[in-house]
Amino acid sequence: MKGLLALPQWLWAQLRHEVLVLPSRSFVFFAALLLLVLPLFYDDPYVLRIITMTAIFAIFAASWDLLAGFTGQVNFGHALFFGVGAYTSALLSHHLGWIPWITVPLGAVLSMATGFLVGIPCLRLRGSYLSLATLAFPLILTGMLFAFPDFSGGELGISGLKRLVVSTVGNYYVAVLPMLILCFGIWKIGDSNTGLIFHAIREDEVACRASGINTTRYKLLAFALSGLFAGLSGALYAHFMRVAGPSALEVALSFQVVIWGIFGGIATIYGPVLAVFLLYPLTEILANFDMFKEIRLLIFAVIVLLVLLFMPQGLTPWIRDKIELVCPRCKNRNVFTRHQCRLCGAELR
Amino acid sequence: MSRKLLLPAVAAIGLVFSQAVWSQNIKFAILGPMAFVQGENHWAGAEMARDEINKAGGISVGGKKHMVEILKIDTNEIQSVPDATNAIERAITRDKADFLIGGFRSEAVLAMQEVAMDNKKLFLGVGAAASKLGINVEQNYERYKYWFRASPTKDVDLAKTLFAVMGSVAQQIRTDLKKEVPKVAIVAEKTAWTEGLIKAAQANLPKMKMEVVGLWQPSAVATDVTAELSAIKRAEADIVFTIISGPLGIVLGRQMGELQLPAVAWGINVEAQKDGFWQATAGKGNYVSTLDTYAEVESTPKTIPFVKAFKARFKKSPIYTAATYDAIFSLKQVIEQTGTIDAEKLIPAIEKMEYVGTGAIVTYDKRHDLNWAVGKTSGIAVEWQDGEKVPFWPPQTKGMKPFKLPKH
Amino acid sequence: MFQDILISGLVNSGVYALLALGFSLIFGVARIVNIAHTAFYMLAAYALYGLLVIAKVPFLLAIPLAVAAVVALSLVCYKLVIEPVRQHESAVLIATIALALIFQESLLVAFGGSFRGMPNAIEGVVSIIGVRVSYQRLIVLVVVALTLVATWYLLNRTRLGLAIRAAANDQEIANLMGINVGRVAMYTVGISVALAAIAGVVVAPVFVVDPLMWLAPLVTMLAIVVLGGLGSLKGSVIGAFIIGYVEAITVFAVPSGSYLKGAVALTIMIVVLLIRPEGLFGVVFEEER
Repeated sequence: MKGLLALPQWLWAQLRHEVLVLPSRSFVFFAALLLLVLPLFYDDPYVLRIITMTAIFAIFAASWDLLAGFTGQVNFGHALFFGVGAYTSALLSHHLGWIPWITVPLGAVLSMATGFLVGIPCLRLRGSYLSLATLAFPLILTGMLFAFPDFSGGELGISGLKRLVVSTVGNYYVAVLPMLILCFGIWKIGDSNTGLIFHAIREDEVACRASGINTTRYKLLAFALSGLFAGLSGALYAHFMRVAGPSALEVALSFQVVIWGIFGGIATIYGPVLAVFLLYPLTEILANFDMFKEIRLLIFAVIVLLVLLFMPQGLTPWIRDKIELVCPRCKNRNVFTRHQCRLCGAELR
Repeated sequence: MSRKLLLPAVAAIGLVFSQAVWSQNIKFAILGPMAFVQGENHWAGAEMARDEINKAGGISVGGKKHMVEILKIDTNEIQSVPDATNAIERAITRDKADFLIGGFRSEAVLAMQEVAMDNKKLFLGVGAAASKLGINVEQNYERYKYWFRASPTKDVDLAKTLFAVMGSVAQQIRTDLKKEVPKVAIVAEKTAWTEGLIKAAQANLPKMKMEVVGLWQPSAVATDVTAELSAIKRAEADIVFTIISGPLGIVLGRQMGELQLPAVAWGINVEAQKDGFWQATAGKGNYVSTLDTYAEVESTPKTIPFVKAFKARFKKSPIYTAATYDAIFSLKQVIEQTGTIDAEKLIPAIEKMEYVGTGAIVTYDKRHDLNWAVGKTSGIAVEWQDGEKVPFWPPQTKGMKPFKLPKH
Repeated sequence: MFQDILISGLVNSGVYALLALGFSLIFGVARIVNIAHTAFYMLAAYALYGLLVIAKVPFLLAIPLAVAAVVALSLVCYKLVIEPVRQHESAVLIATIALALIFQESLLVAFGGSFRGMPNAIEGVVSIIGVRVSYQRLIVLVVVALTLVATWYLLNRTRLGLAIRAAANDQEIANLMGINVGRVAMYTVGISVALAAIAGVVVAPVFVVDPLMWLAPLVTMLAIVVLGGLGSLKGSVIGAFIIGYVEAITVFAVPSGSYLKGAVALTIMIVVLLIRPEGLFGVVFEEER
């Protein structure tokens, strides 16, 4: 009996001591919970569709943050991984007739390999060079796809793909569950030893190397991991839309993810995810009003600009610093109402 | 820290909007890129159809009259494919549209087709020519039977028209310029829909006693083709066979005029179908000719009145996406005939119907594509002559004018 | 064929050079990656269209007006949007992306998505070594050449130019030497956008104008500056000619592959970067901390 209760007890303890003590974590926890139960009492297919797309793009944004935010390899061509995932999965299921449950993971794996391959030339590039050079990769791939229209479908892409599951609610969970798991996973990576090294590479690569860390290996790891997750989101997208076309490689998509990432606050993972959940539905909501319909993208851009003027670090760091305090001694976070650190008892102010 | 302030907001707005007033109206969702000319014409054609039908008392379904309501759905498909699929989903599940009409960019229409089929909604395509849309119907009828392509004819059939006109253009060159074997340069944008047409041209033109001197494939958004044109000039081409849907068409027309290339452009040049072409080429697009849908000629008995009324109302001439007008009227015809708006019952009726439209006489084949026939669905050919878009083919249609060659 | 390549490559290279030069300047002095750079080029083209076709202003007046208006707008944008977040590199980055989007969408609302054209300053063509070239293209060439020379003069023979180069070389030292780096950055923004605007007004009659026209040259321009070496002015101009000619050669060598010219140019950029990570003429910056 005691053994049976051990797991729930442990979970409850985790929840109480790790999650509910901080407002940010509580918010994430309840938001995730809400996402999980939403279809049970609200099943409007349009809203579910928007959230499904949002969830897919949230994985994409989080994967960008792992590479650009944590490791400082600001990738301007992140659509490459998205497109590789989408096209790989689409081509495999179209030409070989494999089911999406096999092709989607394969798309992610090939995208991971692409990340690794692209990472090699990028090892030699720094800062803005890297950003601007990476912009080229998806465009080169687009050129190649257009060169073989019989194979790739040219500008039409591959259409008529099968979905992973049939129902609207099923598709919702197919996107939302991986989103929650992966984003938590990516956040955990960011929090781990590896994440610390990623962070160190961004801050000072030379010092990091001087400390005996093989930065090359870690940078390639960041590229590959980022590619893996972005590729998965691309493959999910292709099978949800049932089309994998050149629009998955467009410059606009690469820019979009940069906007999400920086708007939400880089190197946080939850920042870009929140940004997607705010900004992606925003244009859709605006499209519901006749007066905003035609200018929704203009409003979108103005909002992004205004928010950045006031919160140049991004949205979530700004909010976080308002509601949480960092303990000066142990560097752990505390809710702003506390006067003493919850872990080491040091004075907070 | 967070995931979603917005969910409740979305949900709240959802509730408000899903309570859309229940009404007796029959709702047609007009889908198009509304900031662009294609979308403007989608909407304009639909507005005309709505006003005419409602003025005459609406559509009668089993003895009861219903008004037509059209919904302007901006798909933003030129800039974003996901936007387009969200828009059609909204039209279906939120706005509760009864029928879907429109679409333009093939990649986006393929994605929208899937959403419409998921919801078993009739979707009449007006704008996208990709064969794949119809092949879907043939291969998986039960799923895709809700799709019909009301306009234009599929890309492969466009080729038939192109070669028919090409024959008469070549004939004129033979008689006027005393050249037995006219030389043809093919300029096609690099896209999948042009592939079939290029292969057909390379195979057919020699049989029609023409020589293909080369194939140039700029990107669809190229802003400069002087390099290509210099090469074409060196090849001494008499005809530039264009297969272009993008802004490339303007650039080509303008630069041909600027460089005074001694050749005539014929083919598909979607931009040259628009009134704005003359302005966009700064008056240099003389002699550019293209396949087109509408002109003040008697393609069908309805064409001239429609084009005149359209010009009077919108101060511009219609392009092919204005065939939303025909799509709505053809649905009116079958709805009144079957006495229902149930898609399952309408489909067999649409498959069998013959509808005399403004640009074509509409009958559908087993792919739910238009049956191609000269004078019925072939469309027309037009040439820009001193600022006027002049129709010149098919010659048997009333109202056609002669085709002119540039002075050499 | 050789002369065709020579002439058609020259015009495009010149326009690319103006764009890349401006982008490089502002990056060198202010470390701003200005994604909106080609959006200013687009704005200038639209300004010329509005003045010439709608307001019927004569050509010689319309060109300086259009350039001045765009430069003024850029300075306003810089003061209001960029300067307040200068310290945050990533915020500057998406501020410029957002600006570009705002310009694009505003033009879309104001003019619609249709393609616009405008008359040439001088009509007609001339034959140069057997190649027909329109007068407008010659004008492009002349203006580009004059602008490049003027820029060179400004940078190398004036006090402002000295200050700009000093700031580009080392901001802190320049500051210590009594140069008002903030003001120099402001002037640089003006000069840089003026170069883009000049490019915009001279090619507007040659190309078509539409609200998405900033994307294609943006990518090419970025490829050029990376190829030439970020911040290197010489590199930008030489890079522009390399890419311009690579594109022209692709068109003539593989006619049915002319859509690939963009991809070929980008591939060359990647190859160069593999061999020389700092670009052809880039300086290896010390690790910036």
